[in-house]
Amino acid sequence: MAQNKLPAKADIIQGNRRAIAKAITLLESTRPESFKHGQVLLESLLPHAGKALRIGITGVPGVGKSTFIEAIGLFLIEQGHRVAVLAVDPSSQLTGGSIMGDKTRMNELAQHPDAFIRPSPSSGILGGVARKTRETMLICEAAGYDVVIVETVGVGQSETMVDSMVDLFLLLMLPNAGDELQGIKKGVLELADLVVVNKSDGKQESQAKNAQSEYSKALHLLPSSKNSWTPQILRCSALEKRGMDKIWEAAKSFRETLLISGEWEKQRRKQTGKWMWSLVEEGLLINFRNHPNLQQQISELEKAVETGNLLPTTAAIKLLKSWQTQSK
Amino acid sequence: MSKSKTKTPSSPTLKDWEKQASRELKGKATSSIHWKTTEEIEIKPLYTAEDLEKLGYTETLSGFSPFTRGPRATMYAGRPWTIRQYAGFSTAEESNSFYRKNLAAGQKGLSVAFDLATHRGYDSDHKRVVGDVGKAGVAIDSVEDMKILFDQIPLDQMSVSMTMNGAVLPILAAYVVAAEEQGVKQEQLSGTIQNDILKEFMVRNTYIYPPAASMRIVGDIIEHTSAHMPRYNSVSISGYHIQEAGATAVQELAFTLGNGLEYVRTAINRGMTIDSFAPRLSFFFGVGMNFYMEIAKLRAARFLWANLIKQFNPKKEQSAMLRTHCQTSGWSLTEQDPFNNIVRTTIEALAATLGGTQSLHTNAFDEALGLPTETSARVALNTQLILQEEAGIPHVVDPFGGSYFMESLTSSLIEEATKLLDEIEKIGGMTKAVESGIPKQRIEASAARRQALIDHGEEVIVGVNKYQVENAEPVEVREIDNSAVRKAQIQRLKKIKKNRDSNKVDTALNAISNAAENGEGNLLDLSIEAIRLRATVGEISAAMEKIWGRYNAPIHSISGVYAKSFPDQKEIKQVRDEINDFAKKAGRRPRIMVAKMGQDGHDRGAKVIATAFADLGFDVDIAPLFQTPEEVVKQAIENDVHVIGISSQAAGHKTLIKLLMEILKKENSEDIVVVAGGVIPPQDYDFLKDLGVACIFGPGTPIPGAAREVLAAIANKV
Repeated sequence: MAQNKLPAKADIIQGNRRAIAKAITLLESTRPESFKHGQVLLESLLPHAGKALRIGITGVPGVGKSTFIEAIGLFLIEQGHRVAVLAVDPSSQLTGGSIMGDKTRMNELAQHPDAFIRPSPSSGILGGVARKTRETMLICEAAGYDVVIVETVGVGQSETMVDSMVDLFLLLMLPNAGDELQGIKKGVLELADLVVVNKSDGKQESQAKNAQSEYSKALHLLPSSKNSWTPQILRCSALEKRGMDKIWEAAKSFRETLLISGEWEKQRRKQTGKWMWSLVEEGLLINFRNHPNLQQQISELEKAVETGNLLPTTAAIKLLKSWQTQSK
Repeated sequence: MSKSKTKTPSSPTLKDWEKQASRELKGKATSSIHWKTTEEIEIKPLYTAEDLEKLGYTETLSGFSPFTRGPRATMYAGRPWTIRQYAGFSTAEESNSFYRKNLAAGQKGLSVAFDLATHRGYDSDHKRVVGDVGKAGVAIDSVEDMKILFDQIPLDQMSVSMTMNGAVLPILAAYVVAAEEQGVKQEQLSGTIQNDILKEFMVRNTYIYPPAASMRIVGDIIEHTSAHMPRYNSVSISGYHIQEAGATAVQELAFTLGNGLEYVRTAINRGMTIDSFAPRLSFFFGVGMNFYMEIAKLRAARFLWANLIKQFNPKKEQSAMLRTHCQTSGWSLTEQDPFNNIVRTTIEALAATLGGTQSLHTNAFDEALGLPTETSARVALNTQLILQEEAGIPHVVDPFGGSYFMESLTSSLIEEATKLLDEIEKIGGMTKAVESGIPKQRIEASAARRQALIDHGEEVIVGVNKYQVENAEPVEVREIDNSAVRKAQIQRLKKIKKNRDSNKVDTALNAISNAAENGEGNLLDLSIEAIRLRATVGEISAAMEKIWGRYNAPIHSISGVYAKSFPDQKEIKQVRDEINDFAKKAGRRPRIMVAKMGQDGHDRGAKVIATAFADLGFDVDIAPLFQTPEEVVKQAIENDVHVIGISSQAAGHKTLIKLLMEILKKENSEDIVVVAGGVIPPQDYDFLKDLGVACIFGPGTPIPGAAREVLAAIANKV
C-alpha cells in the first residue's frame, strides 16, 4: 500500500504533511536502500531549502524549553509564519525503543495546522544525530516552514553540534541567577546570540529582572567571538506567553545585522563545510563498522580490550591498519 | 499483662513451633514461606504476643485519638456504615430514576458520577466532547439538569457525595442552587464534594486549571463551606484513584495523607483555624484484593492522620479524626469470567468494613465490560446488605484489634508510609512533589512492575492468567446512546440560553473572571450567583479559563521497569529479537502512538503499554491527553507511526474510533494500523473490527503477546 510508495518531491514542496513525514523517515532509515532514496530526494529538494530562520534553543532541564517553544511557536504562527520543531537528544543510549512525549509538552502547538513537530527516536539511526537533524531541517524548509526550531536537551556537547546547523542560538535561563551560572558551561554562554530569562512572572518577576542585569554584566566580560552581533539579554514568561514580541524583534534585528555585514552567508557557508565533514566522518565510521572483513577482528579486539588483555591504543592501530589494507 | 514467660512449662514455645513447621516444610526454614508484599513488607506465617511486645504495642479504644480502632466509639454496632453507591449515566432524568430505585432498595446515600465533559468544564455542545457526553457519568450543563437529577429526592435529608474536581465550582454551585429552589438552605445540606485536585495532577487528569489556580479554588470552597455549610465535607482526600493507577498501599497512604496536609496548610495560610475546617475533611480510599493489607491500611491511615494533625494544635478531637469512604477496586475487576468479580467485590467490601470505613461503594461485576446494568447494580448493593444484615459484621468494633498479625502489619505500614511522607516533606510538600512528577513516576513504576508479574502469571488472577474458561457466556451490558443524550442536552442548553437575562449572566461571568484575575473574592460565592442566573457549567469554567488557561500536566515516562520486573527474561528476549528483526528489514523500529481520545484521563493503561512496548523495542510516541480524532491523526501522520494504539476506559470508543477511521481514510493514511485496548465490551468487538481495527486487547491481555500481535498486524499491512 501507500506506505511503500516513495514520497514525491512535489508533494513535499506543497507542504503535504504525510509526504514530509515519510521523507524524514527515509532519512532516518537504517536500510541502505531507503537511506539512499532519502538522499536522492533531499538533493532534489535542496534548491527549495535554505530560506528559513533556523533557531537553536537550549537550557537546563526545568527551564521551560517546551513551554517556551510552544509560546514562541504560537506567536510566530499568529504573525503568519509556519513553524517546524525538531528535538535533538544525543545523550540517550537505549537497548529498547524510545518513548517520545514531546507533543504532550507542547500540546497547543502540536495541534496547530501551521506547525510540524517531529520527535525522533534516539537509537538505531544510521549515522549521527547531527546529520539527521540537519537534513530533516532542510526537508521542512523545502516544505515551506520558514522558522525551524531545533531543541536540544541538557547542557553539554549537543549545543556545539546544534550551533553548527542553526543561524541563531538562544539560551534559556532561570530567574535564580546564582545557581544557574554554575549549571551552564561557559562555552554554552559564549555560543548564545540571545539569552532569555524565562519565568519572569508572579513572584519571580523581580528575580528575573535581577538575573537579566547579572547576565548582562557577565556577557560584557565575554564578548562574542562568533560575529559582530552583541548578544542581548531578554526576559519573558513562556507560561503567560509574554515577551515573545521582543524576542522576535531581537531575532529579526540579529538577522538584519548579519545580513548587512555579510556574516549571515559566511556562517551558513561555514556550516555547509562542517556538514560535509560530518558526512565524511559518518561515512567512514559506517564503512568501518560494517566492513564484512573486519567484523570478526572488531569483536575479538573489543573483547580483548574490555577484559584488559589489550591496550586500546594497540587495538585501534591494528584495526585501522586492517581497514586500510581492506579498502585498497 | 500476661506474658509468654508465665505460660505453663508444658505449653509449646515458639522454638517448638519452628521445629514442627520446618518438619512440615520438609526441612526448609520457615523463612522460605515468608511472603513479601508489593509494598516490600515481609510477612511471616505466624505472629505471636512476642511481636506485639517488640512493637511496644499499647492498647487504644475506638472513638479516641489516634482512632486506629475507629473514629466512633460504637462504630457499626451503633449504626452500620452508609451504603453509598456511585452512579450516574446518560441524562439527568435517567440517573434520577436509577437513584430513586436504589434508594427504595435500601441504599442510604447518593454518590453522583458525572460525565467527563462535565468534569472538564465543557458544556455538552462543545466540539471537544462529542464522544464523552453522557458516558461514564451523567451530563450536567446547568442548574436545570441538577434539579432534574435530584427531583423528588429531599436534599435536606439525603447526604449527597459528588465526585467532582475540575469543574468543582459550577457543579457545587448548581447543587446549592438546586437545593435552594427545592426550599433547602445551604446549612441543611450534608454530603461531600471530592474537590481533591492534587491527585488529579498525579493520576486521574480531570483537572482544568494550573496547580496554583486550582489550589485557590480548593481554598475558596473550604472557606465557603466552613462558613455556610457546617454539615458538608469540603474535600474528600482520595487515595482511591492513586491505588487504581497502580500505587502500593504505602504509596496510597503517603500520597493521600500528603495531599491532605497540603489542603490543611492552604486553609491555614488563609487565616483559618484548624478546628474551623479540619473536622469537615473526609477521605476516600480504594480497597483491592490484598485483604489483610487493606484492613491494616485503613487502621494505619487513621493513626497517621491523627498524628499529622497534631502539629496544628487542634482543640477539637474531630479535627484529627480520619473519616473515610471506601470503594472496592475497579482495577481488580476482570473482563474474563466476569461473575468472579462478585466474589472479588465481596472480599474487598469485607476488608473495607473490617478496616472500619464510614461508607462504602461496591462495584458491579460487569464494570470491566461497560456500565452496570440494573441487575448487576442490584447484586452490588445486595453485597453490602448481606454483610450488614446476614453476616453479622456490624456487631463488633474493629474485630482485628489486638491481633498479633494485624497490629504488626498496621505498624509496618505506618512505618513505611512515614518514611515516604518524610521524603515528600523534604521536597517541600505534595504540591512541589507533584510538580516534580516524582509521585506519578513512582506509581507508574509500581504499575509496570505489577503488570509484568501478572503478565507472567506470578501474580494469579483467576480466569485471566490461570483457570481460564473457554467460551464463557456473554454478559449483557448497558448501552448508552451517546449522540441521543448529546442532542437532548444541546436542546436544553438552547432553551436555557434563550430564557435567561443574558446581560445579567455576562456581568456575573465577568465578576468571576475578575476574581480569578485579581485574586480577590470567593469564587464559589460568585459561581452560586452566576448559576442562579442560569449561567452554564461550561460558561463559568470558561470565565476562569480565560484568565488562567487550560492546563496540560507534563507527562513523564519511565523505562526499563517492565522488562526488568518480568520474571522470564527469555520471553522478553524473544519478543525483542522479533522486533529487532523487523527493524532490520524495515529500516527502523516499529513505531506506535499511544493515544487517548476525548476527555477520558485515566491513563494507567496507556502509560503501562507505552513503557512496556518501549522496553520490548517499539519506538513509542505518547500523544497528549484529551485529543480529538483529528488531532490524533495529524500527529500520527507527522510522526509517521506504523500503529495508533487507542486506550479507552470511558466508553467513548464507538463514536471516537469510528471518527478516527474516517479521518485516516480521508487523509489517505489507511496504512496506519489501528489497535484498541481498555474497557471495551466484547459486544463492540465486531463493530470495531468491521471499522478496520486490527486488534482489540481487553483488560488482562499479557503485553508481550499483545506486542507480537501488533507487530504481525504491521507486517500484514506493509
